[in-house]
Amino acid sequence: MTDAITLGDQAHVALAAYEDLASLAEDIEDEWTYVTDLSAAWRGRIEAVIDERGTETISAIQVSAISRAVDEIARISDPHRAIDWLSTYPQIVLVTLGEQP
Amino acid sequence: MRFQDAAQDARAITYAAIQAEPVVAQAAGLLADATPAQRLLARAVMNGETLDPEGWRTMFPTLFGPDVEPAARERSGAVLAVSLAIADRGDQTRNQLRGALVESLTIELLARRVGTAGVRRERRILFDGVRAEIHPYDVTVERRGAAEAYDCKWGARGINADVLYQLEDARSNAEAEGEVLRVALVVFDTELSCQVRLERQTAAHDQTGLVAIESLGSLAL
Repeated sequence: MTDAITLGDQAHVALAAYEDLASLAEDIEDEWTYVTDLSAAWRGRIEAVIDERGTETISAIQVSAISRAVDEIARISDPHRAIDWLSTYPQIVLVTLGEQP
Repeated sequence: MRFQDAAQDARAITYAAIQAEPVVAQAAGLLADATPAQRLLARAVMNGETLDPEGWRTMFPTLFGPDVEPAARERSGAVLAVSLAIADRGDQTRNQLRGALVESLTIELLARRVGTAGVRRERRILFDGVRAEIHPYDVTVERRGAAEAYDCKWGARGINADVLYQLEDARSNAEAEGEVLRVALVVFDTELSCQVRLERQTAAHDQTGLVAIESLGSLAL
């Protein structure tokens, strides 16, 4: 039997992947400010959910969904496409966790 | 203030061909009535790296999970299929199709409010004594006393000073002629991301509307 996974556990996994995505996006020097502002805004949204609901257990389906999203952004090598995902990926995480994006 | 077709240059011909791709109208039709989560799915898939539908279904349990009603799942499946059809194109074509999609979606929604005859695409707006903008406006609503002009973007990153100046110039020139011209950005991205982008823009935009992915339905109301 596997241990239950909390929302906080999985959201921290999601945030670690998001840091890598933001680092890739920062390669576009002209967009550095936008990238840092945007990633800070979305990181703040996810951290607020962790603060409020971090100890809740989440379902295996939710864990799989976020793991799949993490896998998707790990495939990205183009920094322009990484910028597209800086707003898309956190929304997927939030919706999966039952939050409004 | 008067409206005029854009010049039929090479850009316009390419643009018309992209707009005419059946997948654009199909996607716009589906997304006009989509839920916020279905629109997020479309954005993710059309931004995505992978084309495996099962992977996307796993990523969106609120759309494809076991508790979802069959009719809703079927509709999400249609959104997924059309999004994959656009994603499965080369980068340049994909980008063009995404841009065309946002314009078609805007037209579809506006037509529900003002009728198809009043909504036009790729139009210039001319004012007496003012040199006309070279670039046309993506979508216009041409009604005396209640005209509208929209610039359509796939993502918040597309918002820039040129776009904001063009919209504000049109609005203020119309005002100087005693006309009303509502101007707005339509962005297939979240309001939060758009606001982050707009905060750093110094071009005037306090009278430029913003229709983000969450509020697309407002175009029809």
